[in-house]
Amino acid sequence: MMDNKTFIIAGLLISLLIGIVAVFLASGDPDGLESSALVVSGQKDLTGLSPEEGDPEVVGTGSFAYSSPMPDYSLGEEVGSTGGIIAIIAGILITLLVVMGASYAIRISKETQ
Amino acid sequence: MHIPDAFIPLPQAALYWIVALIFLALAIRWARSELNEDKIPLIAVLAAGIFALQSFNLPVSMGTSGHLVGGALAAIVLGSPFAAVFILTLVLIIQGFIFGDGGITVMGANILNMGVIGGFVGYYSFQGILKIVKNPYLSSAVAAWLACLIPALACAVEMSIAGTFPLVPGLVAMGIYHAIIGVIEGIVTAVIIYVLAMARPDLVDTSVGVASA
Repeated sequence: MMDNKTFIIAGLLISLLIGIVAVFLASGDPDGLESSALVVSGQKDLTGLSPEEGDPEVVGTGSFAYSSPMPDYSLGEEVGSTGGIIAIIAGILITLLVVMGASYAIRISKETQ
Repeated sequence: MHIPDAFIPLPQAALYWIVALIFLALAIRWARSELNEDKIPLIAVLAAGIFALQSFNLPVSMGTSGHLVGGALAAIVLGSPFAAVFILTLVLIIQGFIFGDGGITVMGANILNMGVIGGFVGYYSFQGILKIVKNPYLSSAVAAWLACLIPALACAVEMSIAGTFPLVPGLVAMGIYHAIIGVIEGIVTAVIIYVLAMARPDLVDTSVGVASA
């Protein structure tokens, strides 16, 4: 049986591998919610292909806008897939550290009471 | 099914945030009582794996793609729907603020759908199906399929209340797409639970561990 350290390293390596492969192989088709938005706005048939230039957000009415530092898991077109790899590695490491940090913080807050 | 900011008006988005925060408080209470030195590596690795898998969109035909959400996975492996709320909330915060995947004002709705509804549907349907079929992998696959489909239908209802989708066409489109995307959710969830039960049988919840022993 694996010890905790080996388990974290193995899990992290598998996650990084999945993320990096995803940069090259993930489908660019809209997700289920975006596809549904294209259908209800008449840009797509229910079972048909999605339009290249479809805009799912035309159905929306919200005005709030936020610009994220790495939109769509990339660093912009000019950096290409290298940017995608950097973004996904950053995301996986941040997730691991944030969840581990939050978990330890909750544990420490319990012990100090 | 990450909802973007444009899809829900602010007053409604605020209501979903309130509901999400109530469940997040309960999830933190769960974490306080359940997380120990051994569980923390598991929950952190699960979160990292869920983040990676959520970036891997697979084509599901009909011009649509989908990926694992992971609510059922987290809830089944850690033995509580609040584990899903805890992990998915943190993943959605990182996705929303750093990668623009899912909105900020609507994050409460995304936590409600994928973390709360996904976690509860995944956990309780797993427990129910396991009693009947006695196979933890088949049970987790079916539970994960439901934990993809039911939140998608909830999302369609929220879109209808928001005035973004008409109710019936929204339910039909969301239902059909996520019934197929749910197959990915089911297969990937069962495979990961199998691998985890092999690597660290002591860490996975006893309902998985005992049944697979």
